[in-house]
Amino acid sequence: MTKSEFEPKIVGFLCNWCSYAGADLAGVSRIQYPPTLRIVRVMCSGRVDPVFILEAFRSGADGVLVAGCHPGDCHYLSGNYKLQRRVSMLKKVLEQFGLEPERLRLEWVSASEGDRFATVIKDMTEKVKKLGPSPLNNGG
Amino acid sequence: MKDKVGAVLVVGGGIAGIQASLDLANSGFRVYLLDESPSIGGTMTQLDKTFPTNDCAMCILAPKLVMAGRHPNIELIMGAEIKSVEGEEGHFQVALVRKPRYIDEEKCTGCGVCARKCPIEGIDEFNEGLGERTAIYVKYPQAVPLVYAIDRDKCIGCGTCQEVCKAGAVKYDEKEKRIALHVGSIILSPGFEEFDPKLKGEYGYGRYSNVVSSIEFERILSASGPYGGIVLRPSDGKVPRKIAFIQCVGSRDAKIGNNYCSSACCMYAIKEAIIAKEHNPDLQCTIFFMDVRAYGKEFDAYYNRAEEEYGVKFVRSRVPQIGEVLESQNLLVKYVEDENPATEEFNLVVLSVGMRPPKHAEELAKTLDIKLNKYNFCSSETFSPLETSRPGIYVCGAFSSPKDIPESVAQASGAAAKAASSISSAREMLTTVKEYPPERDVSGEEPRIGVFVCHCGINIGGVVNVPEVVEYVKTLPNVAYAEHNLYTCSEDTQKRIHEIIKEHNLNRVVVASCTPRTHEPLFRETVREAGLNIYLFEMANIRDQCSWVHMHEHEEATEKAKDLVRSIVAKTRLLKPLKKPMIDVTPIGLVIGGGLSGMTAALELAKQDFEAHLVEKEKELGGHLRHIHYLLGSEDPQERLGSIIKEVTENEKIHVHLNSELSDVEGYVGNFKTTLNNDGEKKEIKHGVVIVATGAMEYNPNEYLYGVDERVVTQRELEERLTNGGFNAKTVVMIQCVGSRNGEHPYCSRICCSQAVKNALKIKELSPETDVYVLYKDMRTYGFLEDYYREAASKGVLFINYDDENRPRLVQENGKLKLTVWEPVIKTWTPIEPDLLALSVATLPNPDNEHIAKMLKVPLSKDKFFLEAHMKLRPVDFATEGIFLCGLAHWPKSIEESISQACAAAARAATILSKEALEVEGAIANVNEDFCSGCKICESVCAYNAIEMKEVDGKPRAHVLEALCKGCGVCGSSCPTGAISMLNFTDDQILAQVRAALKEETKYD
Amino acid sequence: MEKTGKLKFAFYWAASCGGCEITVLDVNEKILDVLALADIVFWPVAIDIKYKAVKAFPDKSIDVCFFNGAIRTEEQEHMAKLLRKKSKVLIAFGSCAYQGGIPGLANVADKKEVFERAYLQSPSTHNPNCVTPKTSFKVPEGELKLPEFFDTVKTLDQTVAVDYYLPGCPPVSDQVAKAVEAIAKNELPPKGSVLAPEKSVCDECPRKKEDKKISKIYRVYEITPDPEKCLLEQGIICIGPATRGGCGAKCINANMPCTGCGGPCPNEMEQGAAMMSALLSILGVSGEKELEYDAEKLADQIRDPLGTFYKYSLPASLLRRRIMKK
Ligand code: SF4
Ligand code: SF4
Ligand code: FES
Repeated sequence: MTKSEFEPKIVGFLCNWCSYAGADLAGVSRIQYPPTLRIVRVMCSGRVDPVFILEAFRSGADGVLVAGCHPGDCHYLSGNYKLQRRVSMLKKVLEQFGLEPERLRLEWVSASEGDRFATVIKDMTEKVKKLGPSPLNNGG
Repeated sequence: MKDKVGAVLVVGGGIAGIQASLDLANSGFRVYLLDESPSIGGTMTQLDKTFPTNDCAMCILAPKLVMAGRHPNIELIMGAEIKSVEGEEGHFQVALVRKPRYIDEEKCTGCGVCARKCPIEGIDEFNEGLGERTAIYVKYPQAVPLVYAIDRDKCIGCGTCQEVCKAGAVKYDEKEKRIALHVGSIILSPGFEEFDPKLKGEYGYGRYSNVVSSIEFERILSASGPYGGIVLRPSDGKVPRKIAFIQCVGSRDAKIGNNYCSSACCMYAIKEAIIAKEHNPDLQCTIFFMDVRAYGKEFDAYYNRAEEEYGVKFVRSRVPQIGEVLESQNLLVKYVEDENPATEEFNLVVLSVGMRPPKHAEELAKTLDIKLNKYNFCSSETFSPLETSRPGIYVCGAFSSPKDIPESVAQASGAAAKAASSISSAREMLTTVKEYPPERDVSGEEPRIGVFVCHCGINIGGVVNVPEVVEYVKTLPNVAYAEHNLYTCSEDTQKRIHEIIKEHNLNRVVVASCTPRTHEPLFRETVREAGLNIYLFEMANIRDQCSWVHMHEHEEATEKAKDLVRSIVAKTRLLKPLKKPMIDVTPIGLVIGGGLSGMTAALELAKQDFEAHLVEKEKELGGHLRHIHYLLGSEDPQERLGSIIKEVTENEKIHVHLNSELSDVEGYVGNFKTTLNNDGEKKEIKHGVVIVATGAMEYNPNEYLYGVDERVVTQRELEERLTNGGFNAKTVVMIQCVGSRNGEHPYCSRICCSQAVKNALKIKELSPETDVYVLYKDMRTYGFLEDYYREAASKGVLFINYDDENRPRLVQENGKLKLTVWEPVIKTWTPIEPDLLALSVATLPNPDNEHIAKMLKVPLSKDKFFLEAHMKLRPVDFATEGIFLCGLAHWPKSIEESISQACAAAARAATILSKEALEVEGAIANVNEDFCSGCKICESVCAYNAIEMKEVDGKPRAHVLEALCKGCGVCGSSCPTGAISMLNFTDDQILAQVRAALKEETKYD
Repeated sequence: MEKTGKLKFAFYWAASCGGCEITVLDVNEKILDVLALADIVFWPVAIDIKYKAVKAFPDKSIDVCFFNGAIRTEEQEHMAKLLRKKSKVLIAFGSCAYQGGIPGLANVADKKEVFERAYLQSPSTHNPNCVTPKTSFKVPEGELKLPEFFDTVKTLDQTVAVDYYLPGCPPVSDQVAKAVEAIAKNELPPKGSVLAPEKSVCDECPRKKEDKKISKIYRVYEITPDPEKCLLEQGIICIGPATRGGCGAKCINANMPCTGCGGPCPNEMEQGAAMMSALLSILGVSGEKELEYDAEKLADQIRDPLGTFYKYSLPASLLRRRIMKK
């Protein structure tokens, strides 16, 4: 596969209350973004276990997005902080595993940020494209 | 007497109306929620962020909208108004007229194809006229109900929408409809109207395009607003560098007849300035104000942050005029600083417009036969802030006085309590409980999944090749049936799904269509009716997150849709039926604190037929109120206190425990067990809820020779003297903020400004020749209290502003008190020799708070007041279910506010106490004791105290308190042994979903 | 050999430190019971038997083979396959065979890097001619062959099918004794089981556990921990919560934190992620200050996360090894 025709596959873990709602709003507002994302809904970003992310990479994801409510906005008060800490450590671990930490991205997207959600996906798609296929992606 | 009617009409569907409706519906009453507009949500839907937490307004509101929209006991009546109200408390006959919407509410799926095809571009009121919308529209994208409406003033009748609407929902010939309702109580929550800034011609609103109102600016800031969240100015779409905020536009302005303060504008201006600076850090924001009225919880901290962290500039000046620079369309703001006139140029000016009573207030008052005050807000009394002049009709929110969101929400719950207690004998008379067929036992069956893929008219089908997706889905393992539907959510498809489940013996169902956030409840209901557990259902979102965002990539969108369905099918294969546990409820309340708030809460519970234990540490009831002898206004507080105490002690349902304290609390919502310590004697009480009303304390000052010179007194002591004689001073000085708004107590004590005004007026009444000076930092006489401030000033009370650099200085010289005061107008230190110096001392948190908080496992704020679950929308709840708070324990507040909150706490408590058993969500945490090793990590991470360690065979094991668990999953991902599974979102299910999202699985086991 | 009705045991030592062999001896007087019970037919460390002899055993003639060490060379792979063929029951004995163990940490590098480090760069090396191991070498007598050194260390079950696992670095003798007893009594659990309790080290840890929220991490030498209190709660990284017990919390009783040799708990996919998630969920989350902590800085407190969380389990982890840039 040459880099130019490479369409990355990104798995997105989205919390139900803000980010999933933000993704819906992008849809309602018909804001277009590349079809690279596969969304997995969780109730709170704090549900996201590093194992999910590692498994996504092992299964060939070129990027993983985790999105939750802005700090202070978590529907469950503080789940997003727990996630934030896990992600910052996991990035370091991924780097030690030889995987570009930029393939893992944490974003806060609120229910009214449909626009921002689309921008995040566009930007992430671009960045992951530049990185090329994940070395763990054996063709799917 | 006729039987009372167990239904309530709530007039106005803003946040207050929604809260009142939810509380009532959740405690056994039928609710009709009426609004003039086509959807509920009110002003809050237009806000970007909320102060002081900067929460996204839509994020926190949307779940409540959805809850109200689909509550089985709330009926939304949109686009309607009241024509007449007959009858009396307990049974009112209400006649309504509903304007036609021209859309069949039953049929409209909210897909919005019509609006995309409508040729008309009209003004969008939701975006405050800054954007455009079509003639067929919804007010905002997340609208509830999500049903379109046709604006006949704009519609040209071209027929396009009727043509494109595949659901056949357009009804051009719909007529006005008359509706007759029979209800027991009525709650008014019609909200407010923004002040029309055109009435202040000197500010050029309407003439200068870069002068906008605060609510317009709110839309400009919003990510879903007209400029997509980029701060631009309307005239040329350029990014402004300097923005001025002008306060009190239409407030505190006797000239235009609005002397009152609108209470929320200072804070929202600060918020808008902060958010604007967050968008663009180089922006310069200046707020022109008279007093910064940051009197609410954590408001002063927010104000300080604006100034110190964000560099927002604050200028104390009333702006007389604004001019425009022709070429640049910049604005010239004239003001006075240090007595010198100045002019400054800005790129954009935001007018902080005040709140007006709702447009139809007078008409409404006439129809309902209720009294309004002189400003046309609903009139109410200090000790009955939620009652209108007509029994059985209650008021809440901005209609009774301008107020912010948390106060409106508290009042709304309070009004719900009032509305409920007057018809409590009719509880559960009109609510419906749906009967379902028994659930089929699917255990041991191979998964047989049915997949229904929706075209959503052309919303999905126009982009995604739906038949191809269906064919693909049929090849997936365990898929026993798949088909496509024009609208999967339509009435007839629901019936069809039901039949197909039976016919094909399906045991799991997937719908691939829109978002589960709006449609999951509907489909769950359908599978439940067909005998399946609701947790055997999943949705794949192939519209909002696929066809709508890849409108031009048909092939890719089709592939993505297949991936999404495949991954949901992979999860569905592993779904397990879940039970919703039932938790018994002891229908008794425990109220901690026997002051005004505690007594009110106990009384409200008793009036709703619940028993209450009222625990007071001291030997008598009454708390703070015992020291209040007169009020602003005519009511006599001591007389009222006497009658409240009498009512409490005589009420059979209330058990008063004096000289008692809590020594231990066990259990959780519905099932608490508390041990009281009454002078060493222990007593055990069982109860279902706790209401914390522990009050607060007065600061004992060490400033200004207090305790050294007996001419220095606190306001409370002054009040005693003014009441019991012994007042003969000729010169009285009052110093505000003693012990408040300083390093030690950085917050505002809220009530001292009006207390000072109250005492100043009393002095002027008793001894008109006495000179009274009030030395203040900001006069925070918010709302209608402003009238008394003005009255005091007009009676000759002198108000002198001081700031932290120029605090008044006091010495004792030759037996005299000598005070030097910085006079900001003439800029000199001026001596005053008071005979009496009254200190407005801070309200401090009750020192008992700390150990009570520990016992109840609830948090305190930085300032050591109790910290509610959410500052905006859950002002009287704790995050822990079943525990509520009210009164000064929450924050300093007035009598009205304490009463409203106490009633609110009772209403919130009633949503639990009114149920024999609480039904708990099934998708919660579950501990496998075989693996749990007692590390306690889960206990530490749960924000809801829902995990408790229990001894099992002598070892600690985690145990989920099902009634408290919210199902967030934080514990599940933190547990290092994998002992916790998050039901309905188990590791296995999520992992299967992840794998299948990425590749075709070949093996499934 | 076929003279007694006794069981036939074999022991083998692949990529490991040898500690596991000591455990076998540590079974102490019980070793005699073992000997009463079984004949040891193969044990390179103690008995002189050639591979050829093993090759000659009939298939499945060994009742139980205790295999310690990970697989990193051709020889080890060969022996694993051979012993699998010859044994009725194959037990991955110790952390290395089970999860990769300490040798598994070499998966952050490949053969080239390992050789460079071991034979060229390490400070104690004197190797002026820069000689590194080769698989073949010509000498006047002919060609010498050495087994190939793999790029990646594998666990035993990534090489051959394994019947049981006995975790520990090394496994504690009690547990070995229990396993032997189970074998003797023919009471082994279903195949694929780990012969250790299902609970984590915390279950055996006697320390007091109160509130797990922490904000600062200390290395062992930085503080003197309270001997009564949970080490993790004192800011010392203890992998005990995510580690399968059975060891009796030996390290913890010696005032040292658990480093995780027991491998993951039965219901976790991998130990590293489980511990990482648990630790980072309680780090910097106390009270209202949650927002104020800098997540990066919190994470920076752990210098070598991979080595900390995957100390004994890198080859068994989801990603197994470092991805080498081509
Ligand atoms: S985190 Fe897991 S192992 Fe630890 S106490 Fe909770 S359930 Fe038990
Ligand atoms: S799921 Fe969330 S609310 Fe429930 S016990 Fe776990 S952490 Fe607490
Ligand atoms: S609910 Fe959105 S991050 Fe917790």
